[in-house]
Amino acid sequence: MGLEPYLFLSATVFCIGLFGVMTRRNTIGILLGIELMMNAVNINLVAFARYTAMAAGFVFTVFTICITVTEAALGLAIVILLFRVRRTVMADHLDLLKG
Amino acid sequence: MMANSGALALIAWLLPIFSFLVLAIVFPFRRLGRPAAWFSTLCAAGAFASAVLAWRIQSVAAHPVHLVWPWLPTAGKTIADVGVLVDAQSTIMLCLVSLVAFLVQFYSVGYLHDEPAPALGRYYAYQSLFAFSMMGLALAPNLLQLFMCWELVGLCSYLLIGFWYQRPSAARAAVKAFWITKAGDVGMLVGIVMLYRLAGTFDITELHSMAASNALPLAGLSIITFCLYLGAMGKSAQFPFHVWLPDAMEGPTPVSALIHAATMVTAGVYLLVRTDWLFALTPNVLLIVAWIGAFTALLAAVLACVQDDIKRVLAYSTVSQLGYMMTAIGAGVASAGFLHLLTHGLFKALLFLGAGAVIHAVGSNDLPNMGGLARRMPQTALVFIIGTLSLAGIPIFGGYVSKEEILGAVWGAHLTGPFLLLMLVAGLTAFYMFRVVFLAFFGTPARVAAVAHAGAGHTTPPRVAHAALHNEAVVEGAHVNETPHAHEPPATMLLPLWVLAVGTMVVGVMSTFHLGGFAAAEAAGETAPGWLTPTAVGVALAGIALAWATYQMRAVNPESLANAFGPIRSAALRKFWIDDIFEGIYSFVLLGFSRIVGWIDRYLVDGVLNLLSDWTVQAGDELRGIQTGKPQDYVYGIGAGVLVLILLMRLVF
Amino acid sequence: MTEQITFAALAIILVGSALAVVLSKNLFHAVLWLALALTGTAGVFLLLDAEFLAAVQLLLYAGGIITIVVFAIVVTERLIGERLTQTNMRIGGGALISLVLLGFIVNVLRKSPLPAARPEMSVDLTRVLGELVLTRYVLPFELLAVLMLAGMLGAIYFARPED
Repeated sequence: MGLEPYLFLSATVFCIGLFGVMTRRNTIGILLGIELMMNAVNINLVAFARYTAMAAGFVFTVFTICITVTEAALGLAIVILLFRVRRTVMADHLDLLKG
Repeated sequence: MMANSGALALIAWLLPIFSFLVLAIVFPFRRLGRPAAWFSTLCAAGAFASAVLAWRIQSVAAHPVHLVWPWLPTAGKTIADVGVLVDAQSTIMLCLVSLVAFLVQFYSVGYLHDEPAPALGRYYAYQSLFAFSMMGLALAPNLLQLFMCWELVGLCSYLLIGFWYQRPSAARAAVKAFWITKAGDVGMLVGIVMLYRLAGTFDITELHSMAASNALPLAGLSIITFCLYLGAMGKSAQFPFHVWLPDAMEGPTPVSALIHAATMVTAGVYLLVRTDWLFALTPNVLLIVAWIGAFTALLAAVLACVQDDIKRVLAYSTVSQLGYMMTAIGAGVASAGFLHLLTHGLFKALLFLGAGAVIHAVGSNDLPNMGGLARRMPQTALVFIIGTLSLAGIPIFGGYVSKEEILGAVWGAHLTGPFLLLMLVAGLTAFYMFRVVFLAFFGTPARVAAVAHAGAGHTTPPRVAHAALHNEAVVEGAHVNETPHAHEPPATMLLPLWVLAVGTMVVGVMSTFHLGGFAAAEAAGETAPGWLTPTAVGVALAGIALAWATYQMRAVNPESLANAFGPIRSAALRKFWIDDIFEGIYSFVLLGFSRIVGWIDRYLVDGVLNLLSDWTVQAGDELRGIQTGKPQDYVYGIGAGVLVLILLMRLVF
Repeated sequence: MTEQITFAALAIILVGSALAVVLSKNLFHAVLWLALALTGTAGVFLLLDAEFLAAVQLLLYAGGIITIVVFAIVVTERLIGERLTQTNMRIGGGALISLVLLGFIVNVLRKSPLPAARPEMSVDLTRVLGELVLTRYVLPFELLAVLMLAGMLGAIYFARPED
């Protein structure tokens, strides 16, 4: 089996995650979408590393997983903070970027 | 040897701008005042020295020196150059300008000794800039540089008239001078551009050779020369543009001597002298020049008779003499006009500086406040009388020959009307100048006499008027007892007076007895009939006699003399309503037009703009909805943007 | 052949659970579906001979993140006093964008020359990873530790109780 199916799988998961980020009304739901996208990236990395037999690819996967986890923890902390301030976790009520 | 005179002229030209730049840029130097003044004066002296050398070399040289650098290069040819055109005319003009500039700067050190240091530095910076501009004008090899320097001298004139800008009258006079000369300059610029279109060059030498070989088409040339003449009218204060010059007397007296008597106002005459071959092609314009010149001379002479302000008398006299020069040019003998320009530059500068000394001593411009000054300041009186005799055209004095030449030229050109006007003016000139002499230097101050008569020995306490430089008109009768404290001016002021007086005398004597370079110049004047000289001198003497009888002997009561010319006098006192006419034109035409323009601006232009801005604001309000401030919408936007990019890549690349 | 079948099964699980994550109405269910998707990813890692990474994936993601998310949901639900529901908006546009992007990526992949078979890896990957992380990549590794510390501190700072 070639590399292509893995990449198709990763692309599909990535696009599903993007769809979630764009459409979810709940901030936590958006974070879940981001997790999916990150996950797709990890699949991509590992698949390429395996098919080119480069150990460095695996090492960097370790790194990205760790960074993703950190990002998730921080994101959730921000969600809680936002909730405290605005009393909502609905993204369409959070218009803080509006000038 | 030839290149030398070009280089010397260049040095003379560039020294003042060097001085100006040093004064303007080297920061604390200008504010020091006196050192700056001496530095500028030194540069002017250097300029004079090298100008004289250039003249000495050039007066024996066969060809003019044309020393230029390309300025506005285009493909193939240069539109205009900058540089110097050194010939006999320009070098002698250069000598006059640099001499008077130097003497005036020297004189100003004494005259303006009460000015605060920064103001003095500013004054000398302007003076240097003026000297540079005027020399550039004299040396200009093409009409474009001439016009540039022309505007620069106008600017300097504006700055120096408004030197005491705290005085509203000075500021107003500066603006008036600027705008009225500017009105003429617009015509001049139009003329220069039209000439370029006709001839394809700005260069004076090239234009001259084209004119000499009949290469210039005559159609439309009259308009061009008239436009050039318009510029000269503004600068040389010809009727009806003469109104600015008397007001320009608001500036310091040395400025009046330099700019508004000896140099800048003669720029118009100089322009016409420089391009007399061009004007010779358009006799109809020359006729206008002659008639307007003669009329201006008469008008200004009449106005000068009724002025009580010594500087205004001199100012009107300048206008009158400029009219003389213009008439000579109009008669087709530009050399006579140029000669009068030179002699007039000398003796009028002398008269103005003398008047400055008097004003400095008395603390007032008003003739009735003066009187008997000959006893107090004999040297000043002597040089002033020399200047007056020159102006009156008495033999062996400076203005005699040049005036005779003009009269001869005008008679020779069969311009009988202007000739008669000029004869009348010759008499009037002698009359009003000696009126000044008798009122200021002899007799007793009119106001002192009047007060003594009316107040029965009640004397007002004497007041030292020595430092009253910023002389507002002295209040009637309040402190009239000033002349007894008048004294000779300091040496810095006396020296230039004597230099100018000696210069005037030398020129007068040499020209009267056809010595030196004047022997050749005299050849042109030989056509004058024999009765002309005695008549002109006789008229002048009659004027002097009338002034003597009226103001010295009191044989003729000034009141009855005034009454004899009642209507003319009252009209002259109102300056023949010319200022009022300008005022009327201004308030009715210009203000009316401005109101219309203002209405259009307020309701049409602003209306359209308001409509546009309203639309913009409305569109902004509508479009604001796009900016929701929700992060997700931006992600959505990014996604859509990526989509569009992908589509673009597919479709376009 | 077994590889293909395993991959197909994993792919179905992964895509199905991912869709459930983004479409489920119940937030809590969505989190559980995410856990399934992450576990499926670990399976894909196993299929790619990366046993250590599969373990890390399970421990950190399926364990760590899911715990944190559930914790966050519980905290916010308790604070808000009502059940958190999940709805989507602009589904059409989002689906269009995602699908076109997917189509584009697939299109690009199809045109690219990709290896058809995996090379042999005789070494013990876990051992190699351990050695690399502590030798050649020790500096990024330590920096990663600093980053995680900073992230942790930031999370605590943001989520700290109100004074």
